[in-house]
Formats: sequence, C-alpha cells, structure tokens
Amino acid sequence: MKRPLGAAGWIKVILPWILLAGLLLLPATHPSDNLIRLLFITAVWTTTSLGWNLLGGMAGQVSFGFAVFFGLGAYTTALLMHAGHSPYFGFVGGAAIAMLASFLIGLPTFRLRGPYFVIATIGVTEAVRVIMNNLDVTGGASGYRITEDKPFSPLEHYYTAIAAVALAFVVSMVIAGSKFGLALRAIKQDEDAAADLGVNPFTSKLWIHAIAAGLTGIAGGIYARRAAFFYPGDVFAFQTGISILLMPVIGGIGTVWGAVLGGVVFGMVEEELVVHFPNLHLLIYGSLLIVIILLEPDGLLGLLRRLFRLFRRKREDSGSPDADQILWGRGGVEGRKF
Amino acid sequence: MAALKDVSFDIPENQICGFIGPNGAGKTTLFSLITGAVRPSAGQVHFRGKDVTGMSSAALVKRGVARTHQVVRPFKAMSVLENVQVAVHYGRHAVTRTAVAREHAMEALKLVGLDRKANVLASAISLGEQKRLEVARALATAPELLLLDEICGGLTGSETGAMMELLHRIREGGTTIMYVEHDMKAIMAVCDRITVLNFGQKLAEGKPEEVQNDASVIEAYLGKSTFRDKKRG
Repeated sequence: MKRPLGAAGWIKVILPWILLAGLLLLPATHPSDNLIRLLFITAVWTTTSLGWNLLGGMAGQVSFGFAVFFGLGAYTTALLMHAGHSPYFGFVGGAAIAMLASFLIGLPTFRLRGPYFVIATIGVTEAVRVIMNNLDVTGGASGYRITEDKPFSPLEHYYTAIAAVALAFVVSMVIAGSKFGLALRAIKQDEDAAADLGVNPFTSKLWIHAIAAGLTGIAGGIYARRAAFFYPGDVFAFQTGISILLMPVIGGIGTVWGAVLGGVVFGMVEEELVVHFPNLHLLIYGSLLIVIILLEPDGLLGLLRRLFRLFRRKREDSGSPDADQILWGRGGVEGRKF
Repeated sequence: MAALKDVSFDIPENQICGFIGPNGAGKTTLFSLITGAVRPSAGQVHFRGKDVTGMSSAALVKRGVARTHQVVRPFKAMSVLENVQVAVHYGRHAVTRTAVAREHAMEALKLVGLDRKANVLASAISLGEQKRLEVARALATAPELLLLDEICGGLTGSETGAMMELLHRIREGGTTIMYVEHDMKAIMAVCDRITVLNFGQKLAEGKPEEVQNDASVIEAYLGKSTFRDKKRG
C-alpha cells in the first residue's frame, strides 16, 4: 500500500527533523536570552497543545480540565525537588501523578457524552483548583517557591522543553499512524458504531486521556521549574485549561501539525504581545476563534492548506484520503465540529 | 409494556436463520438484546454454551458475534478501507499490523464488491454502497455469528440478488447468520429456517415453506377476516 513520496511527502518527512535540528543548534548562534525564554515557553505550551489534541482532537473528547494535569505536574515536580530529588525525576513523577488523576477523573466523566462530558470537566477543574488553593502543601494563595542549588541555566530549561515537545510530537505521530489512532478517530465519529466493531470506547478514552495527561503533567513540571514561583490560582486556573484547549482549536483540531502551529502562535502571542499590550491577547484569541469557527473549522493549518492549494492549482486529484491525512487534516470534510 | 416476551429459540450452527414479523414485532429489539445494546429485564442469551447476557457489543465482537444496523453508521470522515480496517484491528482476530489489516479489509471489500471504492471517503458513496460497507465491516470482525438487520432496504433488485449470493458465501465460510428483513422474497429465498415474531412473541418457526403456509402467520400479516374469506372462497 506504500506509495512513492511526492515533493509534499518528502517535506512532511523531513520538516520535523529540520525544525528539531534548528532548535537544537540555535544556542550556538548566541541568541538573546529573551528569544530562548520565548522558545522555552512556546515549547511548553506546544507540548500541552499536542497532549490535549490527542484526547480532544483525535478522540473528539473536548475537555476544559487540562489545567488539573498541568498544575499537578507543576506541584509534583516542585514537591519532589523540595524532597531532594532531581528535577528530571520530578517531571516523571509529575507525569505519573497526572496520569493517575486522569484515571480518577475519566472513570466517572467518560460515562458522559458530548456536552455533558464537557460540563463535567469544567466542574472537576474548578473543584480541583479550590481544593489546591486551600491545601497547606501547595502554599495556598501565597504560592510555592522552588529553590535550586545550582546556578540558573536558561539553556538547560530550553533543552528540557525542546525534549518534551519532541516527545509529545513523536507520541502523537505514533498514535496517529497506529491501530489505536484509527480507533480513536472511529470513536470521535460514532462511538456506538466503533463499539459494534469491537473497539471499547470507554477504555480507549481512558488510555488516551492518561497519555494526554502525562504529557501535560511533564509540561507543567518544566514550566514550574523555570518559573520557580507559582500558585494554584495560576497553574490550576480555569484560564490555563482554556488556553490549552484553544491552541489546537486555533491551529487545526485533530491534526498533529495543527496542534504544533496553534501552540507556537499561542506561545508567541502570549509572551510577546502581552508584554507590550496587556489584554490585547484576549482580543486576538477572540477574533481568531470567530474567524476559525466561521470560516475554517480546520484552523490555521486549514487556512494555510487552502492558500497552498490556491498557489499550486491541484495538479493531481487529492480526493483519496489515507492514514497520513490525520497529520495534515482533510480539508474540512469532517464539517464544523468544534 | 414489553417489546419482547417469552421469546425462546436456538440458532443451529452454520445456518441462515431469518426473523420476520410485522412492524413493531420486536425484531430489532431482539438483535439489540443479543448484542448487548439493550439489557433484557428477564431471560438469558447463551453463545456456544456460555452465558453472554448483557455483555457489551465490543466484548461480543471479540467472542465472534457481530451485527449490522438497519440505519447505516459509517465513519464518514474515513475512507471506505479505513472503515473496514477498524473492524479487522478490533475484531475477533485483533490484527495488529497495519499492512495485514489492510489486506484483510480489502478482502472483505471485495466480497461486497466495494474494492474499487476503497480509497473514497465513506460519506461520498451511495446509500446502497454504505449498506454493503456496513456488511463488510461486520464481516471483517471475523464473526462466528453474524446478525444482519435489514441489509437490503433501499437496494435495487440486482443488488439484493448479489447480497443473497453473498449471504450464501458467508455461510459456506462457516459463519452462522441471523437475518431480519422486510423483503419477503429475499428472506424466503435465502433462509434455512424462519422464526416469525408478532407483538413481541414467537408466532411460528420452521422451514420457509412451512412458515409461509402457517395459518397464524398469514393471519398476523393479512388479518383474520382476509384469512377467513380465503378459506370460504
């Protein structure tokens, strides 16, 4: 079933490697600290974007509750570091705790469908935020401080974040091309029909939720270690959950590259614009969301694809879909689904 | 009110067993009870000697019981091939390798005559083709017992003929079939045995010709007076 790769096919294959090489070699050019910081935070957000996209984009389960995993990752890492462990052990611990939490949340909420599931995730994330705000161990409203013995190294943080986003990307690609990914797409379209073919929608959702939560937990830990000071009203905030959800929606829901694009745009906007024009970012997200919902349900990636097609004037009939279309989306045939 | 009451029957292996009855007789409910979509308030379903009452449809597929739906439910944003591929991956044999799964899926598509549409989106094929896709998907789970609900509705005459031929071939492959259909000609031609349901109860059972001549069946379909008139005349 393998087809020879065309020019576009080759770009798909080598683009991630070029990006990765560029990001890894960038520090050799002595970039400004600010650029490194910007790329760091973008990588952290893109990791969460890719994580959310696994559950929300591929499996179609829209969750507003990913701040729970981000916050748990942050606090688990902080507490483990406080107990004298390496930060990297902290990230793994953060992922583990986030995954555990995902099962606890998923077991009851995945019995619900559609809007009822969405509402349940909102309830859970608010409950967790309030609880965390009132626990002594989190520092409550006065926050938590991470202290490290060794000197602050922006590049170490940077490389850690790049590693996380690379991990999230590889995990997404592997799942998208696997039999599990196919089952998730089936669940997204018709859960009952998928069950009639032997797919267990409930356990499939539990597992993809756990994988997504693990990636988000790692991102939370990496974020917390660099921020060094944070509080529950920040990492567990409802707004954090919204941000994580917005990225893949803006970039192109259900596609790996869309999630990356959304994360990059979000990171840049968040970090650069907020500094110069506080609150302008909300206007930008709002406008982007309206444009996307009205005009291009496949997000910025869909928009790019449309432009690309305009320039290239379809040489061949690209009407036949195949597995790798999940990576690039499929031009809006799926209709306007969130 | 009970949709089905005191209905009891056995399905002999490697036969095509038809279920007929007027609208609302409980045919589709019966299928839903067997495949776990609806849990019965009383009674049991046994498959190969094991109690499978209330088992989820996914678990039943793994044990070799698959069904199709009267109203087709293709995954519209997937290709025809991918639709069937899901069934191969998660069916009774749980094939893991993509290339192998694609091969099996193509075989199922060839059986229903959809192999030429393999790479077309499932939303882009006709209703008749979607009906055949529904059968191909169920078939691709490698079932031992296949429940078919109205697979000929909306098909043309020649398409129905091809479908009947397919049912024979499926049975020859060792699969037992339970078959619900409104098209009397089709079901009488293809079935080894027929069970007649009426108002949620079993009315008659037997070979097609026996059922066709059963007085109570004629009554259920045509009404009592008609039957009497016939007798007098």
